[in-house]
Amino acid sequence: MTNIFTAPAIAIDGLHHSYGANPVLRGLDLTVQRGEIYALLGGNGAGKSTTLSALLGFLRPGSGSVRVCGTDPVADARAARSQMAYVPENVSLYEHLTARENIGYFLALAKAERGDDAIEAALSAVGLTQAAWDKRLSGFSKGMRQKVAIALALARDVPVLLLDEPTSGLDPRAVLEFNRLLDAAREREVAVLMVTHDLVSAVDIADRIGFLSEGKIEEEQTASTAGPRFDLNALHDRYTLVAGAPA
Amino acid sequence: MTAVKLIAREEWRMLARNRSGLIATGLLVLLILVAGFTSLESRSAIEADRTRYQTSVDETFDAQPDRHPHRMVHYGQFLFRPIAPLAFFDAGVNSFTGNTIFLEGHRQNSANFAEARQSSLLLRFGQLTPAFILQTLAPLLLIFLAFASVAREKERATLKLLLAQGIGGRSLIAGKMLGHGAIALAVGLPAFALLLGFAATGAANWATVGVMIIAYACWLLLWAFASVIISALVARPRDALAILMGLWMITIILLPRALPEAASAQNQLATKIETEIALHRDLLEIGDSHDPDDPYFNDFRDEVLDRYGVRTVEELPVQYAGLVAIEGERLTTQIYADAAQRQAAREREQNAFVHTFSVLSPLIAIRQLSMTLAGSDPAAHQDFLDQSEAFRYEFVQRLNRMQAELLPGIGGEDPRISAAYWQEVPRFSYSPFNPLADGTRITWPLLVLAGWLAALCVLALFAARRIGGVAR
Repeated sequence: MTNIFTAPAIAIDGLHHSYGANPVLRGLDLTVQRGEIYALLGGNGAGKSTTLSALLGFLRPGSGSVRVCGTDPVADARAARSQMAYVPENVSLYEHLTARENIGYFLALAKAERGDDAIEAALSAVGLTQAAWDKRLSGFSKGMRQKVAIALALARDVPVLLLDEPTSGLDPRAVLEFNRLLDAAREREVAVLMVTHDLVSAVDIADRIGFLSEGKIEEEQTASTAGPRFDLNALHDRYTLVAGAPA
Repeated sequence: MTAVKLIAREEWRMLARNRSGLIATGLLVLLILVAGFTSLESRSAIEADRTRYQTSVDETFDAQPDRHPHRMVHYGQFLFRPIAPLAFFDAGVNSFTGNTIFLEGHRQNSANFAEARQSSLLLRFGQLTPAFILQTLAPLLLIFLAFASVAREKERATLKLLLAQGIGGRSLIAGKMLGHGAIALAVGLPAFALLLGFAATGAANWATVGVMIIAYACWLLLWAFASVIISALVARPRDALAILMGLWMITIILLPRALPEAASAQNQLATKIETEIALHRDLLEIGDSHDPDDPYFNDFRDEVLDRYGVRTVEELPVQYAGLVAIEGERLTTQIYADAAQRQAAREREQNAFVHTFSVLSPLIAIRQLSMTLAGSDPAAHQDFLDQSEAFRYEFVQRLNRMQAELLPGIGGEDPRISAAYWQEVPRFSYSPFNPLADGTRITWPLLVLAGWLAALCVLALFAARRIGGVAR
């Protein structure tokens, strides 16, 4: 039996999935260890979001296996989801609730109630000004909503973070703040799988960068411990080739 | 707090912060209260008028001068039907059948053959009563409040985030159903309070009020649940709204009108004129008491003479014309009663047809149940007609007996009996109709409502299983 404390935070092995006759994932292998940030890049339709859906247990794979902290999210979605926090690409929280109420509600649903202090610390950590904490989201910009969703993910305090285009809608300063938060998460041994188009941000923060093409990891690079972390030019060329568009 | 309660509480918070939803809910609640109080007021006014008119016509009857009893037979009596206490809540067929009846000799009251009694009256919009608002308008409000409950989560992608917190599809749907079910019951609360108030004052019995509240609670829950489930089965709120509006129009507007029409077409009732003509023909067939060669009345005369042991009618100790009047009344009453029974049987067939298909439109079920419990349905009206006909027969025969027994001792060309006798003529005393006396009349509508709720719960399980797939 797999020990949830020693198993990789994310382990995907030979994953195949098709939407009807259209294969999306074709033998995807991906492992993310605790305390590691993995940036998954790829063009539209490469299977990035499908990978996240498989981890969340929203789909039943054709073949292969998916484990989150040793738990199969299809067999026991509730247990697997209790180990993960997820920030969707197009963040849409409840507009009739304040930032604080949104986080409180989702935490309660996840049975992860935190006190006001923890919620305020998360909101503060994502750089949301105190004046906005008790305002309804109907008046928030896309970037502010993104910060609330990230604050929710942080407040969950779970071993795995799944981020779908987390820097989309954030201004450069907010991206820097966000990267600092991920850095802190890494320090806490949190495994982060970040699906992104933002190569610059990935280069800044990721430990490994994988290029997803035609349903599997086409190429993977690991950050260097000495000198520049990644060869940005090589990555850019590779990304252009995989995504079919300039990064 | 469980996820189900959390989700339900969130629906309430959303409603509390939704100005248009609050205004619409407030208006409907206000409308229920206004309808309840105006109906109560109207019922009280009608009851006061009824008592006043009944007293007045009784006094006028008693004040009639010395007269020939047969003139009093045609002077007749007016009866005013007492309105059932809960008829303020659901006027039912009262608005169409009326509550005043004129009784006289030789004919049944005309209400027995009124076209208003045909089953098509089930389809009519009644006056503004709490029942009308709960049956017709409350479902619209519940649709308006719940059509987007789940579809909005899909459209705005909050569904994925909800499920990512570890809640299952069942918890989500159950929470939404609990939230909107509670809102539905809250909408009905003012009406329920009015009913309970009536029971508390002793004006209505607790059992009737209890069944009425359960029935309307089922009806309101049915629409709240249907709205949530349809919302869970479609991708976009506008699709849910279109489907629910279609359902409302079909089950509340179209079917309750189409089914009685189909029942009428299948089993047509005679019109009032046709009935009158047929009755007239039947009456002619009995015979003519004024015709010296009429075989029936000749036999009757011979039988009377034998019974009294005399040879001529002049030797009888009673007035022969009075005996003929008694016999004539017996015969005509039988003809009218037979015709009324035939008509009632056809009406029952019509109503049975409609009620069978009430499976398709629960409005028919709740309307039938509501009218029955309120004592304002055709059966309650028929009960009044039956009691009034029994009274009419006794009233007329009493006067006929006075004619037969008292007139021979008076004699003269214009024999009259003392006005004091009019006070001996019985007065109508209505025994209130018990809607729960025949349990079968409420069993089927209750089963239809329970069946709809059960079917919706099964559909909810199906929708809950699909939720995870939809989130993808």
